[in-house]
Amino acid sequence: MDISQLPSDAAQWKTAVSRQWKFYLRTWRFIGLLGFVLLIGLVFTVVSIVQGDSGASGADYLYNAMDSLGTFGVIIGAFIGGDAISMDFGSGTGYFMLVLPVKRIVLLLGRYAAAFMSTLILIVVYVAIALVGALYFWGIGGIPWLDFAQSFLMAALYGLAVLSTAFFFSALFRSPAVSMVVTILVMFLGFEIIDGVVGSSLGYEPWFSLLYAGSAIGLPLEGQPHYTARSVSFGHRTITTYLWYPYVWEGIAIMAAYFVVFLVISAIIYQYKESKG
Amino acid sequence: MVRIEVEGLTKRYGFGSTPPSLDNVSFEYEGTGAIGYLGPNGAGKTTTLKLLTGLLRPTAGSARIDGIDVRDHPKRAMANVGAVIETPVPYPTLTVTEAIEMVSQFRGGPDPTLAQEIAYLNDRLDLPPLGERTGRLSKGQRQRVVIAASLIRNPTAIILDEPTTGLDPKERILIRNLLIDLKKDHLILMSSHLMQEVTEVCDQVIFINQGKLLLRDTVENVSARFRSRAVDVEFADPLPADRLSPLGSLVQSVTPLSDRRYRLAFDGLVTTRARILSQCVGIAPVIDYESASLALEDAYLSLMQGTSSNDVPSPPLRN
Repeated sequence: MDISQLPSDAAQWKTAVSRQWKFYLRTWRFIGLLGFVLLIGLVFTVVSIVQGDSGASGADYLYNAMDSLGTFGVIIGAFIGGDAISMDFGSGTGYFMLVLPVKRIVLLLGRYAAAFMSTLILIVVYVAIALVGALYFWGIGGIPWLDFAQSFLMAALYGLAVLSTAFFFSALFRSPAVSMVVTILVMFLGFEIIDGVVGSSLGYEPWFSLLYAGSAIGLPLEGQPHYTARSVSFGHRTITTYLWYPYVWEGIAIMAAYFVVFLVISAIIYQYKESKG
Repeated sequence: MVRIEVEGLTKRYGFGSTPPSLDNVSFEYEGTGAIGYLGPNGAGKTTTLKLLTGLLRPTAGSARIDGIDVRDHPKRAMANVGAVIETPVPYPTLTVTEAIEMVSQFRGGPDPTLAQEIAYLNDRLDLPPLGERTGRLSKGQRQRVVIAASLIRNPTAIILDEPTTGLDPKERILIRNLLIDLKKDHLILMSSHLMQEVTEVCDQVIFINQGKLLLRDTVENVSARFRSRAVDVEFADPLPADRLSPLGSLVQSVTPLSDRRYRLAFDGLVTTRARILSQCVGIAPVIDYESASLALEDAYLSLMQGTSSNDVPSPPLRN
């Protein structure tokens, strides 16, 4: 075959995206996550309807739903991207893919795009269910559409940031199972603990935390104070805890930084990682 | 015509005084045919093939395909290479057809003859149902799918790492026959533990051990140099061992394999072998007379024991 007949990088990227997306959509992992998102979304909506909990406004109702994406998004991204790179070095997929005449960066970006599309589907399903609830209580005129759109776009950016981080952790390990477990633990529990210690207890703004940035997703719908402090006295001791919210621009900046920095690091590791096993 | 060149290829895992897994290995081959890459476990076979396909990065030296360095330009270098290294696993939720189609698209975009190519490979390799997901296939079925995918778009160079390991005899025969056909207009470099397979498929052999290249030559030349030093003879009826005493000094030892089959060790000379046969026929009717092992197997054992690694010239491998 003439080398000049090789498809361009862009054409190969499209192939990588379509095949990888098909792979993701058929996995039990994706189907399970879809069930999880449907369940959470429906429970949230049905409980609200049954209890007549419409929130103070359409914006308030949607804020409560979108704010939860900070946590769900981490779970979704960690499960989707937790073995994205390790699968090539621990499961034999790499022996199939990495001997093909395709640049590794093209494969990685194709896989990343497919993972993002899968993540976005799950976010859209959750948001759509929340929107149905908001429409039920407040009607079309009661929805702050522009703020809602901004919140949704931030959720999408958060999805990118979470995936980049998950790709990074998956690049550090050889075993797909280990990388997925570590990714979930670090992103879900690790960030939560750091936020709790640094933000709530010590009173420093956890501006470096992705989970903290995720708490900005609902802010276009309903503003929150940058921080609040609450003191509780036990005898002679007084304990002060802090509750931090990022500014919207700050949340976007943190998400964008995670998205770019960890994707670049992941790409570098993937480029130079060897199939030793 | 494709050209594979390995020059001073060295791979060291770890740091410091760790001995290299591959130590300054060089060979080149151009044209068509099949090369067997032989050596014990840990000899450096798979490391070489991984370096040739960009799965590893060399510590020193280079691997080039059609003059293109695999490390520097892997996409262009691998354009005409189909490779099966270790145990490849396609995305498990893709069907057999989708996995092969994906490889085809990466190699050359849309292909109007793809269906015919898959049908041909299906015929030659007895592929599992094309709509079956690859994650549900047995090891043998998956290996055949992976080999089919490596051959799609007809790459001119085929690099195979023990392609029939773990397969049943029927699957081995399918792949062996396909390789025998393919080598007529492809260049095949395959590692294997199976001397029978290499003897049947390959024209050239490269022996490697402890990361160093020991010998490279044609199968024919190697067979001539390392001819078997034992024959198995089977008589029509049971025969006591003492009836073989007329063989005298022609044989160095007589080992009974059954009540009518014996292994006779001798000096390895063709004339001695002929005289032994003649004597045996004079003792009793002979129904079978064959080398006790493959010549390539003898060569392998001799080389790995270090008995003749340095005294055998290594002609360049070139068609």
